[in-house]
This record gives sequence, C-alpha cells and structure tokens, in this order.
Amino acid sequence: MSFDYQVIVEYLPFLLGGLVVTFKLAGLALAGGISLGMLVGLGRISDKNWIYYPVSAYVNFLRNIPLIIIIFWVYFILPIIVGRNLNPFTSAVIAFIIFEATYFGEIFRAGYQSISKDMVGSAYATGLTYWQVARYVTIPIAFRRMLPSLITQSIITFQDTSLAFVIGLHEFVTRGNIVNNLEYRSIEIYSFVAVVFLVLCYVGSRISLHFETKYRRANVL
Amino acid sequence: MSEVMIEIDNLSKWFGDFKALSNINETVRKGQTIVLCGPSGSGKSTLLRCINGLEPFQEGDVIVDGTSLTARKTNLNTLRQKIGMVFQRFELYPHMTALENITLAPRKVRNLPRKEADEKAKQLLERVGIPEKAHNYPASLSGGQQQRVAIARALAMEPKAMLFDEPTSALDPEMIKEVLEVMINLAKEGMTMVCVTHEMGFAREVADEIIFMDEGKIVERGSYEEFFNNPQSDRARDFLEHIL
Repeated sequence: MSFDYQVIVEYLPFLLGGLVVTFKLAGLALAGGISLGMLVGLGRISDKNWIYYPVSAYVNFLRNIPLIIIIFWVYFILPIIVGRNLNPFTSAVIAFIIFEATYFGEIFRAGYQSISKDMVGSAYATGLTYWQVARYVTIPIAFRRMLPSLITQSIITFQDTSLAFVIGLHEFVTRGNIVNNLEYRSIEIYSFVAVVFLVLCYVGSRISLHFETKYRRANVL
Repeated sequence: MSEVMIEIDNLSKWFGDFKALSNINETVRKGQTIVLCGPSGSGKSTLLRCINGLEPFQEGDVIVDGTSLTARKTNLNTLRQKIGMVFQRFELYPHMTALENITLAPRKVRNLPRKEADEKAKQLLERVGIPEKAHNYPASLSGGQQQRVAIARALAMEPKAMLFDEPTSALDPEMIKEVLEVMINLAKEGMTMVCVTHEMGFAREVADEIIFMDEGKIVERGSYEEFFNNPQSDRARDFLEHIL
C-alpha cells in the first residue's frame, strides 16, 4: 500500500475550511474562557461565602465531568431550557467557554494567590476600589505570571475543539472524517490532520517557552 | 496642642483565638511623628494595618481625621485616600514604570488627566531624589530607589497622614540612609507619620513619641530621651540591649 498525497491536495480547500472553523471555535472559546476564568479565579479566593461557594461548586462540578458530556448537554439540553435550537457552532462555543473557564479560573486563582498580601494592600492603601485593584493590579500581574500555564491550557483547548465532532460541527477533524468516508484514505488523511495539529501546537509551546524565559531573564515578575 | 489626626480608641484584635492587639489607646496629633517599636510579633504592623482598615478588628475604633472606621456610613476606599502607606518590601506594581506606579491612583481614583498626573508624579520623583527613574520598571531599580518610588506613590494622593511599616528593614545598609532622609524631610515638613521602625537615629531626630509594644500591648511610651535613657520595663530594657 502506498501513500497517496493526491487526496490531500484535492481536498485541501475543504479541509482548510474546516481548520478555519476550528480556529474560530478555539478563538471564541479562549477569549470567553479566559475572560470568564479571570472572574472565576476571583470568586475562588473571595472571602464572601455567597460568592465562594457557588463558584467553587461550579468549578468542581464541571471539572469532574468529561468535556464531551458538556458538549452533549449544551447541544441537547440547553435548547430545551432556552426554548430555541442552537446550531452546533454556537453550542460548541458555549460548552467550551463554560468548561475551559473552570481550568483558566484555577490558573488565575493560583496567580492571584501568588501575589503578596502587602502588594494588594499597597493598592488598597491608595484608595483604589476592589474592581480597580483587580483590573489594574491583580489580574495583570496574575496574567503575566501565569502566562506559560495559560498558553499550555490554550493549546489543550485548541486540541479539544476536535471534540465538537460529536455534534456534527464541520471543524477540521470532522471534515477529515468526511473526506475519509468518500475516499477511504484514512492513513493519509488522519496523518495530515495530526501533522497540522502537531505543527500548530508545537509553535504554540515554543511561544510559551519564549515568554517564560523572557520574563524570567528580565526578572519582571 | 494641634488637632487630632488619628485616634485609636481601645482597639482589640484577634486572629482566631490569639489576641494580637489588646486595648490599644493612642492619639496622634497633626504634624506628629510617632515611632512604633518592639520585638517581632508584638503587633506593631498589625496595629498599623488596622489604622487604614487593611486589617479588620473586633473591638474599639479608629478615628482618622474625624471619620470613624467602624461607622456604617464610612467608605473605607475614600478614607484610605487620606492615609498613605509604605511597606517593608516596597510592593511596587512590577508591570508598571515608576511613573505609572505613582499615577495609577490619582488617575483612577481622583480622575486626574494623565498629563496633570504625570506632571505631579515627576515633581514627587524630584522630591524623593530620583527624577531620572520615571520610566524605569521596579525590577531595574535598587531597593532604596524602589522604596522612594513607593513613598512618592503614597504621597501622590496628598494624604493627611503616612504609615510606614518597617520601610528600611529590607534594605542594604547603604540604601537605608537615602530612604530615611526622605522620611526625615517629610516629618520636618509637617507630615503626620506613624512609623514602625527600629532606626533609632531616625527616632531621635524626628519622633515626638516612641511607643514600645510587646505581646499586643503598649508597654511603654515617651520621648526618645525618656525611652532610651530610662526605660521602665524589663522588656523594653531587653529590647534596647538587642537593637543597640
């Protein structure tokens, strides 16, 4: 049996179209997940019980359920609750945001906790309010300190988007599968999909390493 | 006697079962410099943090410039604008330049336009002797320079009083002097100051009163001469032998 690259070339526009969907899904999932994660992290260190307990319950609940189940839930159950159908893309975005926010939230929590009590105190001492301290001091510092972890989790999120396959979203892996069903060239197609993921994620991890060394060398944080 | 700036009224604080401060009474008048000293764990820093409400307390009250910390209608954020605070480890925001560190609160709390805030920050940097460091990040400043930026940051809100929590104890000896000079000038210009410090040269030069604390209580208080030449308690005598 020989490797037939022709199938990749022939279906390249179709496959890359799926990659665009993957990028869109990952982009929205990350923007939403990181933003929500910043707040979740704040909730996880809140000294107000009515914030701490619900947020912790949310985090512990979602982190102990496989992502694929969350994707199914949002796709099949949320429409019943909100009373209208969701297309696969929208429900995948929602599922990823609420799921990834718990992981990003825990990264931010660790980042916030690495900031000394006096650092936060020095900000409050100048008269800044809770939200001003969060916005100008704790979130930016935590973000920089946790950048390597945030990038790692972003790479995981990027890979996880392929799970949207289960609700029929036409992302990269789904389209690879469609091509395979037409052409029966599973080795070529799935190898191609794997290599694309490998290259993209490897580049991502190099970027992470770059920031890590840069911050460490500059001793900024 | 000048007007009262800070009134600490029978303040007690517990950390769980541990009584960290017990029945503290103290009056700081406008323009006075008070030096708090005592062994570590005696409650000095905790008392300082209670004065601007960074640390909650269970009993008693603190009244700053006529405003009670415990009154229901008191807004702590507003009250804290009146009291600057300087910490042992400087605590500059690492992701901001010296200038940005100083202008953050004036811009966000006072809504001062950037230009005006920058102008004022530069004057403050001039005042603490490092105008050329405006655009440096904290990581590229020495400890003494960082602490002077921290003092400028606190002064930028034009506070009526300043709290210093061991401002020189994390500094190398040659940098202590440059920070103390700034503090001495402040005191001489009439700033009301409460300083936790073991720098007795500083105390001799500007302290109106020295308070000696041990185990959460004020054990002794008096002028520099009274405290040094004639300490009343054994604890104070022990302490003086250790630091001199």
